[in-house]
Amino acid sequence: MDPETAKPSKYERFKIETKPAPHVYPIPNKFDVSARKLRLAAMLVHEAFEFKLNKEVVLSRPCIYGVFGGRFGGFKPLKHKCVGCMRCVQEYPHIMTVKPSEEYKRLGDSFWTPEAVFTIWNEASTGKIPVKGMGYKGAFGGEGFDGIWTDMSEIVRPTRDGVYGREYISTCVDIGRKATSVNFGKIDHAPSTVDVPVPIIFDDLPALEFDVWNAVGKAARTLGTFFVTHDQTRGEDYRERMIPIADDNSIDETLELKPGIVEYDGERSDLFEKLSDSLPSSIVIARVPLREEAGLVACKLAREGVHGLHLYADYHGQDYSEDPRHISESLKEVHQLLVKEGLRDQVTIIASGGITLAEHVPKAIICGADLVGIDTTVLVALQAEFLGETRKRDTYQLRPRKIDPAWGTQRLVNLFGVWHDQLIEILSAMGMRDVRRLRGDIGRSMMDAELREQSFKGIAWAT
Amino acid sequence: MGNLELIVEKHSERIHHGLDVLPSLRYGLPAGLGNKRWTAELILATYEMALTGELPKNGLEYKTGDSGGGFDVLGWKNNGFAKVDEDSVDLSISLNKREGGKIEIPLPIYGGGMSFGSISLNFMLARARAAKKIGTYTSTGEGGYPDAIVPYRDHVITQVATGMFGVREETIQYAPIVEFKYAQGAKPGLGGHLLADKVTSEVAKMRESSMFTSLYSPFPFHSVYSVEDHKKHVDWIKTVNPRALVSVKVSTPTDVDMVAIGSYYAGANIIHIDGGYGGTGAAPEIAKKNIAMPIEYAIPKVHDYLVSEGVRDQIVLIASGGIRTADDIAKAIALGADGCVVATAEAVAVGCTHCGNCERGRGCQVGITTTDLELSRLIEPEWGENRIVNLYNAWSKRLRSILADFGLESVRELRGRKDLMVRHK
Repeated sequence: MDPETAKPSKYERFKIETKPAPHVYPIPNKFDVSARKLRLAAMLVHEAFEFKLNKEVVLSRPCIYGVFGGRFGGFKPLKHKCVGCMRCVQEYPHIMTVKPSEEYKRLGDSFWTPEAVFTIWNEASTGKIPVKGMGYKGAFGGEGFDGIWTDMSEIVRPTRDGVYGREYISTCVDIGRKATSVNFGKIDHAPSTVDVPVPIIFDDLPALEFDVWNAVGKAARTLGTFFVTHDQTRGEDYRERMIPIADDNSIDETLELKPGIVEYDGERSDLFEKLSDSLPSSIVIARVPLREEAGLVACKLAREGVHGLHLYADYHGQDYSEDPRHISESLKEVHQLLVKEGLRDQVTIIASGGITLAEHVPKAIICGADLVGIDTTVLVALQAEFLGETRKRDTYQLRPRKIDPAWGTQRLVNLFGVWHDQLIEILSAMGMRDVRRLRGDIGRSMMDAELREQSFKGIAWAT
Repeated sequence: MGNLELIVEKHSERIHHGLDVLPSLRYGLPAGLGNKRWTAELILATYEMALTGELPKNGLEYKTGDSGGGFDVLGWKNNGFAKVDEDSVDLSISLNKREGGKIEIPLPIYGGGMSFGSISLNFMLARARAAKKIGTYTSTGEGGYPDAIVPYRDHVITQVATGMFGVREETIQYAPIVEFKYAQGAKPGLGGHLLADKVTSEVAKMRESSMFTSLYSPFPFHSVYSVEDHKKHVDWIKTVNPRALVSVKVSTPTDVDMVAIGSYYAGANIIHIDGGYGGTGAAPEIAKKNIAMPIEYAIPKVHDYLVSEGVRDQIVLIASGGIRTADDIAKAIALGADGCVVATAEAVAVGCTHCGNCERGRGCQVGITTTDLELSRLIEPEWGENRIVNLYNAWSKRLRSILADFGLESVRELRGRKDLMVRHK
């Protein structure tokens, strides 16, 4: 090729630009550090004698994070600087106390743990992956996503470039219906698929503030993803990124909007034909609550020709069965039924409800989703206030605060950036180059319940 | 004595005193200490054992954590076995079951890899000295072989990992055991990462790199695609140092059993499986919690497969990654391991609180995972050595007691005896 006439490549490496977006509203201190003041004073006097009034030695403090670096030292510790290292307690157990703060312990609800809230806050504010030393500190396994481990490969890598090869891992997924074979002589009328660079969209959240919608809309545009909304007047400046939920009342507005993707209630409404006839180039997705018969509903809708299924659980990740199960279970069931019926490759599955941590994304994909929707996590990232339980979709107790949309956008971009990086960590460890390969690949996961039965076989139950 | 010396002396004295008195519970159980895996009681019990060399007598829980699974839901049967004398119980294991030099260690434990740079030289020295005193081993980790630990070289395992930091002909020739680190449980499939702040001039010199530049140990070995390639590695080490045993450290993927058998056919003496719940270096939280299976599940999988392939008695199976107590060790052996590698517990013995701030600011506040010169001096090698030796002495007593209760005269008889355990809900 003649270098004079060669055109520059249009290839752009996908990258999410994160930058600090510090908390606007004060967050609770994780630890509450306090000193017994009389004993502290006595200790200072004692040390003054011991070190012959050598001020530098006497006042050298047992904290390397500056908790006692304020004017009044241990008498008025700078609690926000405490990281819970416990050195002050080790040195002066008769004087110092460090405990998790009451405010911290009250964070969240029965599903959102204080740790999870802090994780999202930090991810949204820093745009950096949480890194810690000295091993894992949590529960062994657990229910739902906590009971799933992802696989790794000792020698197979996406590239041979170690950490520098991660940019070659694709996290892009398609939304829309795909023809399973070429039928010569017949024109396929299904609309083209749409791709998103990260397998995450923003799911619908009732009762959002105008500024929050704007932040969500702008973040969706920046990230190249979409946001689902039942209220088409919200976020309308970003309508090319909007996935409206059409119903009988709003169908005319939806048709006028001509969205690229549209959702409707797949269980209670028969809008599919109307939407696909009136919007032939739009992708039509049926929203289906996960419950006992969700698999059959999904198969029926897939046979009718819907382009995608949005399967949702409640905001705590529990499905709507009489005896609620975790979304990982019911999602797997629907996916496997669609596979069995030969329908799975024809529809896109979006899963939402209870996707609150970065690891939930690959785990939901392993359970059968193509991509996920996030909901209350958005509000947590924007420092919404917990007022009670956040489980129910219509009455969740999470009050959005007043925000600057630009700040909100950056927080959400940061969150996506961090989750994207963590998804790449998981794929990288597995030796996978494409997130699409992960879909339904249960063989690359390990389930706590199964492993426990295999490995502890032969060990009697304690009586 | 200058002020800096006085300050270091003051704080190290006070930390040592605190570690001695906290387990007495005179000031209660520190509310901010510990987590589900390393509970406050477990940490204090470890301090106590490191001080006295005895098991805690004041009721501190020293056997299990509170994680709700794995080792923490396994217990021991109590069905009136004919006991044997504790003093007659043999805790030694062999680290080579193939041809070649025989190495035995008096306890089914050796120290895990923690690299120079990720930990302080003083802590490294404390570990090496303790290994020598006990007659076991410790591992360099992947950070080179500081001159200061050369005197202990008969008890130091040289680790060869993907970054090849500090791997030289003489460091391989020093070693009685060479450990290939294919992966590590805390960040399986992700390689190693030493943050720029820790790459001081000494660390940079040791790793032949630039100061204050992040160092990656890229995953995986770029020269290994197969068992045959892996054998090439083993042959390379055996050529450079024919007397060295070769250990292969891997993580715990779904096919960990296949990896183990591959290592056997490549000529390894030790297959070392490292579960995800341990690890001392900084790692992404997502990796620690979510990638690869816990060691409790991997051990029986590998043990059973090696048995079914008829090679179990020709390779040593070592487990690590979440081994916190003597009971964990005994359970790991009962699940099928020959012995265990321990690292975090050694750090706890010298004052680690498992707070996880190893990579923050100047590094560890008590001088363990830091290269800060002042903080590093909080651990005097001799003091650290004594505490680690004491911890292992206490653990030996517990191991002997478990074995004696079952009428077993050797820890080797415990291997694979799942029938001696019970599961709690």
